[in-house]
Amino acid sequence: MARIANIALNTFRESVRGKLLYIVLIFGVILIVSTYILSPLSVGAAKDKIITDVGLAFISFFGVMTAVIAGSTLVHKEVDKKAIYTVLTRPVSRLQYLLGKFFGIMTALILMVVAMSVVMGVVVVLGGGSITGGMLAALFLSFIEMAVICSVVLFFSTFTTPVLTFFFTICLFAAGSLSGDLRVFAQKFGSGTMKYVIDLFYYILPNLKLFNLRHEAVHGIAFHYSDIILTTVYAAVYCSVIIYFSYLVFSKREFV
Amino acid sequence: MDILNVENIRKSFRNNISFGKEEVLRDLSLFAGEGEILGFLGPNGAGKTTTIKIIVGLIRPDSGKVRILGNSVSDRRTRRLIGFLPENPFFYPHLTLEEFLIFCGKMSGMKGKMLKVRMESMIDKVGLARHKKKRLSTFSKGMIQRAGLAQAVIHDPDLLILDEPFSGLDPLGRKMVRDFLLELKDRGKTIFFSSHILSDMEALCDRASIIREGVIVKNVGLDELFIMGEGKVEITARGYPECMAGEINQYADSVQRSGDETFIVVNRQEYVRSLIQHLLNNGAEILRVAGVQPSLEEIFVSEVAAVENGNQKTTTGEIPRVETSV
Repeated sequence: MARIANIALNTFRESVRGKLLYIVLIFGVILIVSTYILSPLSVGAAKDKIITDVGLAFISFFGVMTAVIAGSTLVHKEVDKKAIYTVLTRPVSRLQYLLGKFFGIMTALILMVVAMSVVMGVVVVLGGGSITGGMLAALFLSFIEMAVICSVVLFFSTFTTPVLTFFFTICLFAAGSLSGDLRVFAQKFGSGTMKYVIDLFYYILPNLKLFNLRHEAVHGIAFHYSDIILTTVYAAVYCSVIIYFSYLVFSKREFV
Repeated sequence: MDILNVENIRKSFRNNISFGKEEVLRDLSLFAGEGEILGFLGPNGAGKTTTIKIIVGLIRPDSGKVRILGNSVSDRRTRRLIGFLPENPFFYPHLTLEEFLIFCGKMSGMKGKMLKVRMESMIDKVGLARHKKKRLSTFSKGMIQRAGLAQAVIHDPDLLILDEPFSGLDPLGRKMVRDFLLELKDRGKTIFFSSHILSDMEALCDRASIIREGVIVKNVGLDELFIMGEGKVEITARGYPECMAGEINQYADSVQRSGDETFIVVNRQEYVRSLIQHLLNNGAEILRVAGVQPSLEEIFVSEVAAVENGNQKTTTGEIPRVETSV
């Protein structure tokens, strides 16, 4: 456990001391603040709802992008530049290494999500709104979604290049966001084989729609906390399975 | 008991051009005992780094065994016994030297005050005390090499594996590393290192293993060099007529000329006196008469050349003949 924490701390330091996190963070903050400035131009919607809607969407988008970019480069860079030799020639298992990387990136993401959430909260309050339980739940689920994406990025980064990792993960993100809709569509109109194939994808791909609580948060629609717990458990199981597969691939890898 | 024991390892890599397999290591065996410094020599592409990576567990052999203090290197606890410095090391540039060594120590299971004391001591030892708060991204190549040595020994391992430890070091740095390695040897540590700088290897090693095309072609004890040179005498003379060189060829092991000077190596003691007399009689001045021993470089060159000529030798004891010219 101490070794995982040590690798996570190192990864966190690397993320925080790198420029990427700051660039994304500053960009996210600018966009959230600009919503506040531009929202008076909107017609028919309450100002705080627009700020909340756009703010949550930006936090989710920038969080996922950071997870993809940081995750796809961090492992590959260590392998490519051979910094990984310093770690793997010590009494550290490859699973510990991957878990350390995963938790390190997640810690950096927590910092980023919290910072952007604080900015959004201030903007919402200044816009006359208030911070609701729905908003916090939506932020929490966004973060859980980032964890799922992060595990997927880690999986791809164990065997392919950063560019392909980025491409595969974005494809998977898009497919995972649409898999629920596709399944409903296939069940209504599809043939037997298509239903079977889409069902297969539905169960393999992460169902990212589950992590989207933004609509409920913006419009104050009631939600069940049990759903959030179940979604968190689903994400934990999904991440564990993906990290285990990452380990299977990574444990076979030779550092020639 | 051997600290390091490598038994009959074989390793092939897939060749992406021919889609076949290329054998890089062929039945390679070597060992190192407690407190021994074993040098690892070989031309580029001979399999040195692959062997080292197998020893430290970064690559798995196709067959054969690597044992460290009797334990398999695939058992991660065994890796606590190893300190490793890779060739052309790259370390986390975002960390300061202090943070980096603390990180490495913790990864090897160290913690608390002991780790801090050890870290300070290793920073002093490699001469980087003034730079300990600086990030590694600002370090020169030589400083990275020193930092690499510090991380390799931070956890006080029994076996030190160093791939080109003198690379990028200035003369002071080389001396520091040499002194440090000898100090570790005195403390009973086993050191296995590869280097192209044969003078450093000669100064440090108890033995050297020469690898060529994935096979150990020679194991040389450095004390053997003296035995290998026993009975050989080099005579340096000035003013010996070049046209008469043919007369001494039959008695000499080698005859070389450089300007006005003639260098004659004689293999048999009984020839020395008569050869000196012959040189004096022909107007030569004797500048020096000394016993000779082959250098590690001569042995290395000879072994590599022998394999290239299809005349592979695996035994010790024979002095390689250097090229002669009169």
